[in-house]
Amino acid sequence: MGIWETFTDMVDAATPWSTAEAEAPAQEESKNEKADESKEEESSDDAEEEEEEDDEEEIVDPKETLEEECKNSKQCAPAKHHFDECVERVTKQEEDGGAKEDCVEEFFHLAHCATQCAAPKLWATLK
Amino acid sequence: MLARSCLRSTRILNSARNGATSFAKRNASTSSSGAESPARLNMAAAASTAVAIGSVAWYYHLYGPTAQAMTPAEEGLHPTSYPWVHEQWFKTFDHQALRRGFQVYQEVCAACHSLSRVPYRSLVGTVLTVDEAKELAEQNEYDTEPNDEGEIEKRPGKLSDYIPAPYKNDEAARAANNGALPPDLSLIVKGRHGGCNYIFSLLTGYPEEPPAGAQVQAGLNFNPYFPGTGIAMARVLYDGLVEYEDETPASTSQMAKDVTEFLNWAAEPEMDDRKKMGMKVLAVTAVLTALSIWVKRYKWAPIKSRKTVYDPPKASKTTRP
Repeated sequence: MGIWETFTDMVDAATPWSTAEAEAPAQEESKNEKADESKEEESSDDAEEEEEEDDEEEIVDPKETLEEECKNSKQCAPAKHHFDECVERVTKQEEDGGAKEDCVEEFFHLAHCATQCAAPKLWATLK
Repeated sequence: MLARSCLRSTRILNSARNGATSFAKRNASTSSSGAESPARLNMAAAASTAVAIGSVAWYYHLYGPTAQAMTPAEEGLHPTSYPWVHEQWFKTFDHQALRRGFQVYQEVCAACHSLSRVPYRSLVGTVLTVDEAKELAEQNEYDTEPNDEGEIEKRPGKLSDYIPAPYKNDEAARAANNGALPPDLSLIVKGRHGGCNYIFSLLTGYPEEPPAGAQVQAGLNFNPYFPGTGIAMARVLYDGLVEYEDETPASTSQMAKDVTEFLNWAAEPEMDDRKKMGMKVLAVTAVLTALSIWVKRYKWAPIKSRKTVYDPPKASKTTRP
């Protein structure tokens, strides 16, 4: 709200012919008009709506793509190297019967690196 | 060489024994109790040493071999700090985001989580308009005051009513959710270490599959940010789950961001006002500080700038009579 609105509001409040409404004024007439318009437009909109539905299916989470990029970046190369090595080792152990360790810690390091790298980029893309 | 050292050691031992005996003798002269023989003293020392070593060995046997340390999985992954706009000093909540976040809460979270401390009236002006809030309140029924016959009837909700909980009580909530209680979300941002970052990370942090070797109990889901990594809540936010009225693409992270900001508003609705008041306080105190510094300098100026000088009488060449 700018300074001009402040003054106009004060003038509006002081003038005797002004009306203050606690609730939004009824807009039934305009709604009906809009409904009529939308009915008329419906036929032409059908084609567009189908296109929109296609768009909706294509929503890609920017967080996942950004973090995937970050995981493969140079910054997270050591963490990714350790994680991949651990996964390989543990899956081999599981095949031989019973894993003696898990890759949770390596996963944490990789996830920490990736999210930290992606955080500012993600906030730039989100609304 | 060895023999000599052995001899020496026996000599020392003898002297020690002599010392002990002399001590015993001296002791005997002052007290009436019988003198301890050196052999019995040595036995007592050996026995107490054996008990000490034995207890240490027993303790090590009991607690020693396994290290009782906290693992990273038990601690949970620490959430990354995101650059939230509303956490900046000069920024308010993004009320468009609050509106979207409330929509996400209503359509997704409200199925299991209550928001028991937020009345409809507090949504007015921040998230919804008066009419929208009234309409929303009227969709639910609340108990009236007892009427003339003492019966409690139902009435449609008013602005002063609180948002209803999905379950009657905690037991019902547990029974419906496999024994896990969905926490109330009114103060969840304040109530969890990491705040907004934790909530956002938790909602978006479900990996497609847990890392190799990780143990996930039946009925739990793997989430690295939850302490212990096993969380009863499954992933709920998927791309395009909600259709925003302002046509923002509803990606998982967008919904998580909006609902987290909404929950932060629910936890501290006074934040915008508080920041505004904080700025006023800073502005006024800055002026007052400057004023008080000026007044102090003004009052002290004559005292600070005065100069006390001793002007000795000039030595005259002619000596006084």
